[in-house]
Amino acid sequence: MAAGIAPSLEILDGREPHTFEEPKKRINNEHDMERFKWTQGFSGIGQFISQLNRALCPRSAPAKADGANPPTTASKDEQPASSAPDASSSSSMLPPSAPDLSKRLKKTESGPIETFTLHSTRQDPQSVKQLQALLEKLGSFIDEAPPNKEPRRFGNSSFRIWHRLLEERADGLLREFLPQGVVDFPHTGDVGALVELRAYFLGSFGSATRLDYGTGHELSFLAFLGCLWKLGGFKDETAGRGGDIERSIVFGVFEPYLNLMRKLILTYTLEPAGSHGVWGLDDHFFLPYIFGSAQLTRPITDDASEPMPQEGSVRGAPKPDAVCKADRVEVYRATNMYFSAIGFINDVKKGPFWEHSPVLYNVSGIKDGWGKINKGMIKMFLAEVLGKFPVVQHFPFGSLFAWEADPAAPESVRQSATTSAAGSAGSAAQSGHMPMVGTQAPWATAAPQGVWACPRGVSTQMPGSMPRQVVRPAPPGPNPLPDVARRGGNA
Amino acid sequence: MSDLDKAIAQLRACRPIPEAQVRELCHKARELLIEEGNVVTVTAPVTICGDIHGQFHDLMELFRVGGDVPDTNYLFMGDFVDRGFYSLESFLLLLCLKVRYPDRMTLIRGNHESRQITTVYGFYDECLRKYGSANVWRYCCDVFDYLALGAIVLGASNTLAPASDSSPTAAQEYIDEDTEIEVCNSDGAIISRFPRQRNQQAGSASALAQQQQQRHKSPNGNAGSSSPASTSSSVGASSAATAATSHNGSATGKTGPPGSGASGSSGGSVGNPAGAVLCVHGGLSPLIDTVDKIRLLDRKQEVPHEGAMCDLLWSDPDEIDGWGLSPRGAGFLFGADIVKHFNHRNDLSLIARAHQLVMEGFKEMFDASIVTVWSAPNYCYRCGNVAALLELSEDGSGLGAFARSNGDVNRSDGGVPEKNSVLMEGPARRYRVFQAAPQDSRGMPAKKPVADYFL
Repeated sequence: MAAGIAPSLEILDGREPHTFEEPKKRINNEHDMERFKWTQGFSGIGQFISQLNRALCPRSAPAKADGANPPTTASKDEQPASSAPDASSSSSMLPPSAPDLSKRLKKTESGPIETFTLHSTRQDPQSVKQLQALLEKLGSFIDEAPPNKEPRRFGNSSFRIWHRLLEERADGLLREFLPQGVVDFPHTGDVGALVELRAYFLGSFGSATRLDYGTGHELSFLAFLGCLWKLGGFKDETAGRGGDIERSIVFGVFEPYLNLMRKLILTYTLEPAGSHGVWGLDDHFFLPYIFGSAQLTRPITDDASEPMPQEGSVRGAPKPDAVCKADRVEVYRATNMYFSAIGFINDVKKGPFWEHSPVLYNVSGIKDGWGKINKGMIKMFLAEVLGKFPVVQHFPFGSLFAWEADPAAPESVRQSATTSAAGSAGSAAQSGHMPMVGTQAPWATAAPQGVWACPRGVSTQMPGSMPRQVVRPAPPGPNPLPDVARRGGNA
Repeated sequence: MSDLDKAIAQLRACRPIPEAQVRELCHKARELLIEEGNVVTVTAPVTICGDIHGQFHDLMELFRVGGDVPDTNYLFMGDFVDRGFYSLESFLLLLCLKVRYPDRMTLIRGNHESRQITTVYGFYDECLRKYGSANVWRYCCDVFDYLALGAIVLGASNTLAPASDSSPTAAQEYIDEDTEIEVCNSDGAIISRFPRQRNQQAGSASALAQQQQQRHKSPNGNAGSSSPASTSSSVGASSAATAATSHNGSATGKTGPPGSGASGSSGGSVGNPAGAVLCVHGGLSPLIDTVDKIRLLDRKQEVPHEGAMCDLLWSDPDEIDGWGLSPRGAGFLFGADIVKHFNHRNDLSLIARAHQLVMEGFKEMFDASIVTVWSAPNYCYRCGNVAALLELSEDGSGLGAFARSNGDVNRSDGGVPEKNSVLMEGPARRYRVFQAAPQDSRGMPAKKPVADYFL
């Protein structure tokens, strides 16, 4: 019921012909980064993430007259072992399931709370099932491109075969698995919806040239889903309860996507694009840490004007420091995306967690609950992914994620953004790769074809010119992510 | 015990030294390094190491395997910092050892010894976290600017000295004069030996290699399945012979010393007689055709984005002809022809370089004219690779590389070098392969400072 009120990515009216554009590279230098923050594309990414993020947040029953107190508040309510669902984990392979959890929670004085986990019962709509089938199909390409056994340095060159299959078959796959209404979305001119969709789709699965994968590719897949959303690919399903379709998208498509990537990473030993080594959040991924922490925050109601919690955890949530304990991670990885991501780290890394993943280790010490972590992860995403030239420089802009200035942008920005959009001539879309790392030269921005050569988190400015620790976590401007409340309230 | 020795002891325990002490150390190191040429001359015996990347416990393992300083003469080819958790401790320890034993420790610059790169790949973050300010990072970067760009190893022997370990296996084995390559595990046990192949015929060479392969196990437990040569050994003679042939025959199918688990071509050196060994982090530059040209560079600066100095630290060998664009966005790719020509022109028998992860720790390429040495085991905690160091023995006969200088001295080149004019050997090479340090050697978890984003 409240679905229409919370900020979400707009859905285009399928009765009106739309003018598609072949997505093009627009971010060509650091200067463009400022403009990027005021573009419709930037707003769209932010809206979509906060829309998905919000849907994952546990729900309490609509506030009653006496229900002013949220069922949990802050750090102190990290649950005693007796109520934590992992209390019995030692003897059971079964992950704590949401129904059990909510059943128990229903008995608490604050009324029923619903949590959403990877195992929660969902009614995935046809569009989501089709995307699952698509991802499964992509996974099956591995059989056609078995990793070669030749001596090699690290990345397995057979990944290039896999990626070539992807490129060759992309159009057919998209036609086969995407809703008809999306593929045949009415348009003016020669360029159809597939042209835009394909650019983000092909950019989602790592770099065939560099044999690596990182957050730029992850962002591309998110944008692919965002395009589907805008084209009404999930529209028929929005009639249900608010948030259902978003949860289906995250649990039913995004997590399977992450699992496909994990499989590809292991099969072809794709190099970590997370070039910071131990000093980055994760070698390959970012979004599961946002979504997974949202799953464990203090509950909100379906009232769209209620802001996302900035601290606190849902009752029964594991303490944040559970991520440091491998056995606890094993329990929760099946239900929670944050733990699922850490489980993968534990699968591939040897050594003490605090040593190989000090950033996540530090986060595990946060006392204010998963709400605080969720908020911090979003800030970090803005700064370390969307705020980094090397990561987003090859993000292509078309009509769905547009380079045009957001209406909220100041006049001066709108002017210059438009000018730049008209004048810039790159075309990252043609290869569809997003920028990633090995050990690359951070200054290699205008690199030859296939040289995405840039590490995550690099900026071309020289250290010393600006203290890095003071990266603007929340850039000024129409910054949709942390300001859900404001936007929601205004809407 | 001097302050320096105390600092060494503290760093060996993986504890950072106070900021003031770092400043003093860096100052001393700079005074020392400023006196070194761009290309340091090192006399064998020497132990050559590749990337470390802040893997402190693995560096300790390296010292255990290769011998301690100053007993062993070390040459580190850069990339001490970034990515790992202990870049600070690793680099400062190496620097302390350099200041304490300047003649037993040679440090040359890697592409990560740079302000811009360390800001991106972790060392800057690490210093900030460990000291609360960027001062130590600044001191270290000032030292980076003074590190040499390369080293020339002279006086390396064509035969291996007996291994200096007490390992019974090593003691029992007698060193054949004909041994060109020996691969040992971390306990000094010999895994495989490869005789010089004076006969360049692929058939006999592969037959010899085949025997070796069957007699010895792979140096790293899991490498067997990744090497076609070693997998084939169990299949039977005919398929094994095929594998061995392809090892010498085709460019793409080149594998290393069969059975060693290493990849690379070792079909006998075609280097110059008794040549020197050039050590450099990355590789060659199209702007550098002689070692002397390296000596002319002005190195005391941040690594430039392009040019000869940049190339030396960033380039990679590749199976191409001539020069190619590097996917790294800096430096170049260079092929076998480039290496062979350069080695010939400069009286080099071998180029030793680091810069690229190799799963087996070392990889010889282009008829053993260039080798990659990688010294960070299980890189980034996840890559599953073993590490290696390369030992070159001292030549006692007076006939070794010492007699010849690098550069063009006394040389009448007179045109295109004849490929097969003289087939003399490169130095004998002993690779010691080792794995990541056991986890119980690690310290306790640090505190959990809260990152800015989560305040």
